[in-house]
Amino acid sequence: MPATVLPTPAAPAAPVAGEPAFDLDGAWGLHPQVALRPEAFGALAYHFGTRRLSFLKSPALHALVDSLADHATARAACAAAGVPTAELPSYQRALATLVASDMIVAREPA
Amino acid sequence: MLEEVTDVPTPPDAATEPAPVPAHPDPAAEFPVLVQEDLLVEDVSIDGMCGVY
Repeated sequence: MPATVLPTPAAPAAPVAGEPAFDLDGAWGLHPQVALRPEAFGALAYHFGTRRLSFLKSPALHALVDSLADHATARAACAAAGVPTAELPSYQRALATLVASDMIVAREPA
Repeated sequence: MLEEVTDVPTPPDAATEPAPVPAHPDPAAEFPVLVQEDLLVEDVSIDGMCGVY
């Protein structure tokens, strides 16, 4: 009988040294002064308060950011947006970047 | 009259030779985090651009 190769569990989304951590199990949402505009590459986020632009360079990241407020946790939003488990650390860092620029903010859990 | 040359240069010592450098190092292998981050989010400030358009 041939040996069965079991999939290895994905590595936990460890923050990179020197970068702010993002709580995937927290409740997050778009800042009320931020507008998202869909683009072919993903989306543009514009903050009317800080007058900053962020390029979200992935359709999945656009879907994730747009639906953050609809989910109890960012992790659930990632799953709903189709973010592969292996790419979760990259998306976690992207969300941390968006927190740092005030594009997304923590909200009270529903 | 011919002079005999006795000082023969020795071949370079292999231990002191620098290691060969690969012609095309993989940039993604050197900066994997930077490349991944750059793929997802890029911030721009439009402050100070009011007179441009």
